[in-house]
Amino acid sequence: MKTMDCKDVLENLSGYVDGEGSDELRQALEEHISRCRRCRVVFDTTGTMLKIVTDAEPFEVPLSVSARLYARLENVLSEE
Amino acid sequence: MQKDERPKHDVPDKDDFLLVASVLAGDRRAFEPLVRRHERRVFRVTLAVLGNIEDAEEAMQDTFVKAFRHLEQFRKESLFTTWLTRIAINEAIQKRKTRKNFVPLAQAEDAEKNFTPRRYEPWKSNPEQLYGKQEIHRFVEEAIQSLPEIYREAFVLRDVEELGAEEAAEALEISVPALKSRLLRARLMMREALAKKFEEPPTLKTKIVHTAMDAGTAVAMRLMRAAGR
Repeated sequence: MKTMDCKDVLENLSGYVDGEGSDELRQALEEHISRCRRCRVVFDTTGTMLKIVTDAEPFEVPLSVSARLYARLENVLSEE
Repeated sequence: MQKDERPKHDVPDKDDFLLVASVLAGDRRAFEPLVRRHERRVFRVTLAVLGNIEDAEEAMQDTFVKAFRHLEQFRKESLFTTWLTRIAINEAIQKRKTRKNFVPLAQAEDAEKNFTPRRYEPWKSNPEQLYGKQEIHRFVEEAIQSLPEIYREAFVLRDVEELGAEEAAEALEISVPALKSRLLRARLMMREALAKKFEEPPTLKTKIVHTAMDAGTAVAMRLMRAAGR
């Protein structure tokens, strides 16, 4: 089986998360992180970070920004 | 750790199509609910590209005005969100090009292209229960805003708006490999930025154990050799 070093794992981390890569590549990455503490931490916490970002639903439209948007659209919608 | 593939902004597309049809049939007021459904997404996209609220606001307004005026060009083969997001990114990118200090980003150097992790402490379990919702919301926004422009837009389009890699690359006028490379660094930078809030502070004992584990067999071999002497 193909083996990976820490640098390879890092370069393939994002692709792995997105479900990319061949089975062989994915297995090699899994094999590496099962025996490398640092890579395992980076891998696990990247996953946790993505979950936190998804759950947080960042960036709401400020009320004043929203109000000005509707005011401008009001003008556009009432144009003949 | 496979990412959940479900679209998060699951506004029923059927309703979008019905609203678009109403507007095109002459009911202009039907445009308002369309705006309500999508204003947040449009704002996020323009903010990601432009980086400040004032410019993002202007680009958002222009996006909706343009969408309204060109609604007849929307084809049902694509989702309304996809069509609208394309307009929003385009408006934001055009606006960015008018800035005095504009550097074409496609050629801009990826200053952080060699960014590697610096923090290797595991995070606490259930990190989302450590803080209030509002606090986490703020941490996430600050972390995103701290990313350099090219990483921020790649991250928001892919991991917040959940656009496909091809779609995001095309919208940002860069190649798919360039997008993927930026996304990787953006994710690593995001991890690093949030680590301060969520990681387990190491005890002396874990520090020693981790150091030994990280050094791996090299240290073990040396210890064994030393013991044999």
